[in-house]
Amino acid sequence: MSDHKPEKKAKPPRAFGWVAEYTDDSKLLEAARKVRDSGYSRTDAFTPFPVHGIDEALGIKATVLPWFTLFAGATGTSVALLMQWWTNAYDYPYIISGKPFASWPAFIPVAFELTILFAAFTTVFAMLGLNGLPKFSNPLFTNPKFDRATDDRFFLWVDSRDKYFNTDKVKSLLESTEPVSVEEVREDSSSPEIPKAIFTAILSVILLTLIPGAILLRMRSARSDAPRWHVFFDMDFQPKKKPQQTTTLFADRRVQRQPVPGTIARGELDLADPYYLGYDPDKTAALGAAEATRMVAFKVQDAVVQDPQPDPTAKVPVVDKPADPQPVAGAGPAAAAAEPNYAWLTEFPIEVNDELFALGKKKFEINCAVCHGFGGYGDGLVSQRAVNLVQTYWLQPTSMHSDNVQKQTIGRIYYTITNGKGRMAGYASSLSPRERWAVVLYVRSLQRSQNAKIEDVPESRRNELSSK
Amino acid sequence: MATIASNKVIDNTIDTPGRRTQLVTGNQTYGSLTHMVARISEEAQPLAWWVTFLLAVPTLGMFGGLIVYLFLTGVGVWGNMSPVFWAWPIVNFVFWVGIGHAGTLISAILFLFRQNWRTGINRAAEAMTIFAVVCAGTFPGIHVGRAWLAFWLTPYPSLNLWMWPQFRSPLLWDVFAVGTYASVSLVFWYMGMIPDLATFRDRSTNKFRRMVYGILSLGWSGSSRHWMRYEKAYSLLAALATPLVLSVHTVVSFDFAVSQLPGWHTTIFPPYFVAGAIFSGFGMVVTLLVPVRAIYKLKDVITLRHLDNMNKIILATGSLVGLAYATEFFMAWYSKNPYEVFAFWNRAFGPYWWAYWIMVSCNVISPQLFWFKFFRTNAVAMWIVSIFVNIGMWFERFVITVTSLSRDFLPASWGYFTPTWVDLGMLVGSFGLFFTLFSLFCRYLPIVAIAEVKGVMSQHAHAEHRHGHGHSHGQSH
Repeated sequence: MSDHKPEKKAKPPRAFGWVAEYTDDSKLLEAARKVRDSGYSRTDAFTPFPVHGIDEALGIKATVLPWFTLFAGATGTSVALLMQWWTNAYDYPYIISGKPFASWPAFIPVAFELTILFAAFTTVFAMLGLNGLPKFSNPLFTNPKFDRATDDRFFLWVDSRDKYFNTDKVKSLLESTEPVSVEEVREDSSSPEIPKAIFTAILSVILLTLIPGAILLRMRSARSDAPRWHVFFDMDFQPKKKPQQTTTLFADRRVQRQPVPGTIARGELDLADPYYLGYDPDKTAALGAAEATRMVAFKVQDAVVQDPQPDPTAKVPVVDKPADPQPVAGAGPAAAAAEPNYAWLTEFPIEVNDELFALGKKKFEINCAVCHGFGGYGDGLVSQRAVNLVQTYWLQPTSMHSDNVQKQTIGRIYYTITNGKGRMAGYASSLSPRERWAVVLYVRSLQRSQNAKIEDVPESRRNELSSK
Repeated sequence: MATIASNKVIDNTIDTPGRRTQLVTGNQTYGSLTHMVARISEEAQPLAWWVTFLLAVPTLGMFGGLIVYLFLTGVGVWGNMSPVFWAWPIVNFVFWVGIGHAGTLISAILFLFRQNWRTGINRAAEAMTIFAVVCAGTFPGIHVGRAWLAFWLTPYPSLNLWMWPQFRSPLLWDVFAVGTYASVSLVFWYMGMIPDLATFRDRSTNKFRRMVYGILSLGWSGSSRHWMRYEKAYSLLAALATPLVLSVHTVVSFDFAVSQLPGWHTTIFPPYFVAGAIFSGFGMVVTLLVPVRAIYKLKDVITLRHLDNMNKIILATGSLVGLAYATEFFMAWYSKNPYEVFAFWNRAFGPYWWAYWIMVSCNVISPQLFWFKFFRTNAVAMWIVSIFVNIGMWFERFVITVTSLSRDFLPASWGYFTPTWVDLGMLVGSFGLFFTLFSLFCRYLPIVAIAEVKGVMSQHAHAEHRHGHGHSHGQSH
């Protein structure tokens, strides 16, 4: 092979250059220096390990690779910081662990890792790229001797494209450097293309790996009447019952269980405590079926509820009652409904004192006196004017001093204030429970003051009264 | 043919002043070295390989089966129970990640320090790193409960969730740290293998083998220009991987240290974890390489000198770990924080006292044997110590994770962790995964970085030549 003349090989296989083989890296270095001194620059060495000093000997320039690493690392840092800021502080900000949205100290670890990741991958791929790898077709590989370039032999190469290249001169130069062999490298006669079988195999593997993704994309984008296709059910299907379903587990076949008797739900103490109700719900329930019936009616029939306890004591003895026509629809027949049979409170559930009295007076005069009058006789200014105008629909407000009202327990009065009665609206929204109890206290004291007997006056002062 | 020879010095664990220590023994030439390493993948495997492989593969199968069982049933198959929600899966994760530190440390940090002895062991250690990280990555992956949604950890624009990962959490830092470490280690390892894969390609006698190794080696020709860029890339990667390897276990330690739990919430964790990781990693390298060098007759490349050096690192890092244990107690005492004091008292004398003292005896006491040269240079002795190191480091993670969780602030919620058979099976199974991968590596890939060792041989030869000590730098043919 080494004796081919340039004219012969000019046509079919092109010559690439000459390669000399050495047994030792120091011989290679010597030869490389010699070749370089002879003016050749398109040279290279092929060695099983990086030979120290070969770069100088061949005149290989330093690589730009570190710049790739630098820029990739900087890109990694920027991408990481921008990504973390954008995702956590801008696009989807939420408060967690007391850190600010743009929590730069907490962003450091990921920024560091991405810097390394980008820089490392770029370094490797840039190294391969600058080296022109992967490159599976290399004319040098056609020479079986060259297999030892990765084992224990060192090769020096002079390219035929060198501007001073002269086959004979190169050959004799190389032969003068104590090589084991000197050979010419010819064009690889085999096709540089990837063999069809391998190409097909790679292509089909790539296509096959695309299939699952394509199916997923199609499933995500297309409409279908078929039920959803679950790989993992997650929480979509669970062995559980929902509130309105039936079950065989319990005798009543309800899934939803009733609360234990006496249970009070959070925020619903006003439905269960005498202080809020004016009566004792437990005792009321024990009184009999009347209350239970009412509760059922409450759920079934709204009409009954609207006015469950119309005032049976419409006859107020104090003030003349005008006509009492009851023009509001439905009120008439219902007026006969029975007084609720509740276990009314007879004692104040809160401490009674001057402060409570003062509060009651104030609230009564604000809320009640306009109709019921300051004395509680049902002669408030509104009522007086209505009577003067002869408003036929007007129903005389109840006097606090009627027998009926006087007989009522404080719980009953509280209930009236809370829920209203007849035409009177409930005052639960205007007065707090404490204020309502205060008004009850004031009503009681009004009743006492307006219906006082001589016995109520201390004996020592009765004379004063009679004298006036 | 160049020979790197020394007929006199056989014990290369002795340093002779003024002389370079011989890192390749037995009058190896470049050719004989190539043959020594490459034949492993060309010849029939020894019995020991078959035994390892045939034990590892069913264990891996069991691991896979248990993971399927876990997926189908739920995490209740583990012993994780209130208050110990982080139990063996996280212990195993930290254990394997720690082991995965030696490889990159050897190939990056020792490279920067110009420790030439690393060349004999770096390939196997890097492979060990990759496989250990694979094992490590499995555990948090299956620990997330619904492992099929683990991809939610990646910041991708989701059309279903309309939200992003939470970058203020150390758990996400961990995803990035371990992910980066795994992928960078993988490319580092692969890049380092390219020249050796080319060697395998060029030695191939059959076409198929030549084609496969030809593709894997990307057409590497050994051109000096390629070598120049390759070496530059290698230095850059080493410089990048050095902070990386230190960051990984630092971030893993943040998983614990950033929480508020006594026994976890401590600033000593990052250096303490890194020292422990290097310690356990070298322990595993010794565990693997002592048999490998015997089975594959690599004693001339992986010499006693290499093992001696590694054992010295084990001694140093083991003592560092011991210092960390002591410092933890000091900090607990010095803080006068009753919860902190209790957490450490509870570690040593509470219900898990046995785990604590296994940890201390394996990690702190057993490496002290390496003060004696006998233990550093006797293969059997060092192998036994390295096994103790592995056991001890597993228990260290167990102690940190489980004792702190089992007794925290509220005595009413204290508990005692008991593993299930699935926990045990998965720990064993992860070793199946590890050894399957490692056996395949030994079978098909270059165990020793041939090109790098040749470079060291060449340096040594030139150094000896210059010193003129008469060691033959002969030539033949």
